[in-house]
Amino acid sequence: MQNKQAVLEDGQAAHVTDTHDWDNFVDDDIMQQKSAIHAEEAKKIPFLGDKEPISSLAAEYQSGSPILLEKIKVLDEQYAAIRRTRGDGNCFFRGFMFSYLEHILVSQDQAEVDRIQANIEKSRNALQSLGYADLTFEDFFALFIEQLEGVVQGKEGSISHEELVSRCRDPSVSDYVVMFFRFVTSAEIQKRSVFFEPFIMGLTNTTVEQFCKSSVEPMGEESDHVQITALSDALGVPIRVVYLDRSSCDNGGVSVNHHDFMPTASDLPNASVSAEKNNPFITLLYRPGHYDILYPK
Amino acid sequence: MADKYNLKNPAVKRILQEVKEMQSNPSDDFMSLPLEENIFEWQFAIRGPRDTEFEGGIYHGRIQLPAEYPFKPPSFMLLTPNGRFETQTKICLSISNHHPEHWQPSWSVRTALVALIAFMPTNPNGALGSLDYKKEERRTLAIKSRDVAPRFGTPERQKLIDEIHEYMLSKAPPVPELSPSQTSEEQEQPRIEEAKAEVDLQNPEDSPAGEENADQAADEIVEEQELPINANPDPNPAGIEASTEIPSAVSGTQSPQKSNTMIQNLKPETRVQKPDDRMFTVAAIGLTIAIVVLLLKKFIKSTEYGAVFMNGGS
Repeated sequence: MQNKQAVLEDGQAAHVTDTHDWDNFVDDDIMQQKSAIHAEEAKKIPFLGDKEPISSLAAEYQSGSPILLEKIKVLDEQYAAIRRTRGDGNCFFRGFMFSYLEHILVSQDQAEVDRIQANIEKSRNALQSLGYADLTFEDFFALFIEQLEGVVQGKEGSISHEELVSRCRDPSVSDYVVMFFRFVTSAEIQKRSVFFEPFIMGLTNTTVEQFCKSSVEPMGEESDHVQITALSDALGVPIRVVYLDRSSCDNGGVSVNHHDFMPTASDLPNASVSAEKNNPFITLLYRPGHYDILYPK
Repeated sequence: MADKYNLKNPAVKRILQEVKEMQSNPSDDFMSLPLEENIFEWQFAIRGPRDTEFEGGIYHGRIQLPAEYPFKPPSFMLLTPNGRFETQTKICLSISNHHPEHWQPSWSVRTALVALIAFMPTNPNGALGSLDYKKEERRTLAIKSRDVAPRFGTPERQKLIDEIHEYMLSKAPPVPELSPSQTSEEQEQPRIEEAKAEVDLQNPEDSPAGEENADQAADEIVEEQELPINANPDPNPAGIEASTEIPSAVSGTQSPQKSNTMIQNLKPETRVQKPDDRMFTVAAIGLTIAIVVLLLKKFIKSTEYGAVFMNGGS
């Protein structure tokens, strides 16, 4: 205890000499170091990579677990390609963003665009009724809607596939869209706090509101089942998550598990999985701590 | 102001919206505006929270918004001596950039100022850049803070500071007199404060100002009502609601993380835990001595017996 105090006082002595310097604090050093790490990470992989064959995954595990290599072979049979995302804690949202917008760009599904826009308006209303000031979220909403309208072809602001890729790599678009999803997720969790509370209590032992403030809204906070469920429900978009981990099956053969997050009809609190058995058009590959995008064959 | 900036830049867009919102929903508790020449640099003043030793005080400071705003937090620095935060030092709040992991884009300058006001009366716990002055000293500083706005930066900035000061003076009632029940150890204090408060009321410009700026203070105060600050006096309830909710969440997260980065303050009253430590130390030493004595006793006894036994045996 006393030693600790002495150390702390030393620390202060060091600081006192610098108190007038705007930039001379330990915490700033930490921030700088943190952003240096991020910059390093950024050099290695952009927010969003290029399409790669599944076999490129195997290269990562050459000397690793044989189970994983077996599973990658299985993946290779079912999926055509992988597109990596940067492991900066936003990978789930970033993967979702690109996957969703790319789907609209390819399918030109106007009904889906109309449907999601209605859900976006619901999220906006939810945020307002939760007491969020408009100015704190409207830019993020506007930016996503702009991208959504951009991928619908045949209009003035329409964008190409290359443009979509480059926008998803540009922080001034990409981070705003990630933040938009964080707002939507947070609003959904708080709106249905009774439903989410037990999951959140089990995970972190905090209140729903606290969880949203500390694990949903801040950039770089990783997403888990709770966030994925909430985003899928809020936007009404099913998401398939394929798990690549070392768990093996009892029956001897290796298979790759997946879980489909099927949105529930949010106006019916006890509604079960939605009746339409659509295959999710968004597929993400989960490896502990990280999500990449998968392309089915 | 807007035409100088690239409105496509999302940070600029957001900041301009916050300026607009700040002007259309003015608060009696704070005022904050960016410099004309740089919207990433703001000046602010907050009013000392009611029912605390800061009541009636007007505390000025500057805000720097990063280029990545609102993804990165703004930093806050106070300019008015206040006895709670050091001046010209970045403030350590979990809402400002000393705890960047807690900042979130759903917060705004308004939210941060509300949080800052809420933080004034909290225990600094040795936080970086915090001060732990006695209540009486803080009250004295609160009175002084009304006399004149701090002098800082370019004439342009100074003009803004002075305008904000005038606005706050019109909103913040003077430092209240201490009721007898509030009077603590020091009996001298209330009398000084009363005297000063009177001076304040009569002639704010001429009353004794802070040591460093007393000389130039009087003539540099700019007339009030230059800014269209009061344009729309009815506050938007949604905005207020949003911002008042956050401080409680912040204070909830604040305390656990503090201790590791924070430094023990050198003010005498922060050493309250000392006696406890000493008691434990004394107890530990006492116990050790007792054990040693017991062991010694046993050792002596056993060697005696042993000697007797061995003697007897030979």
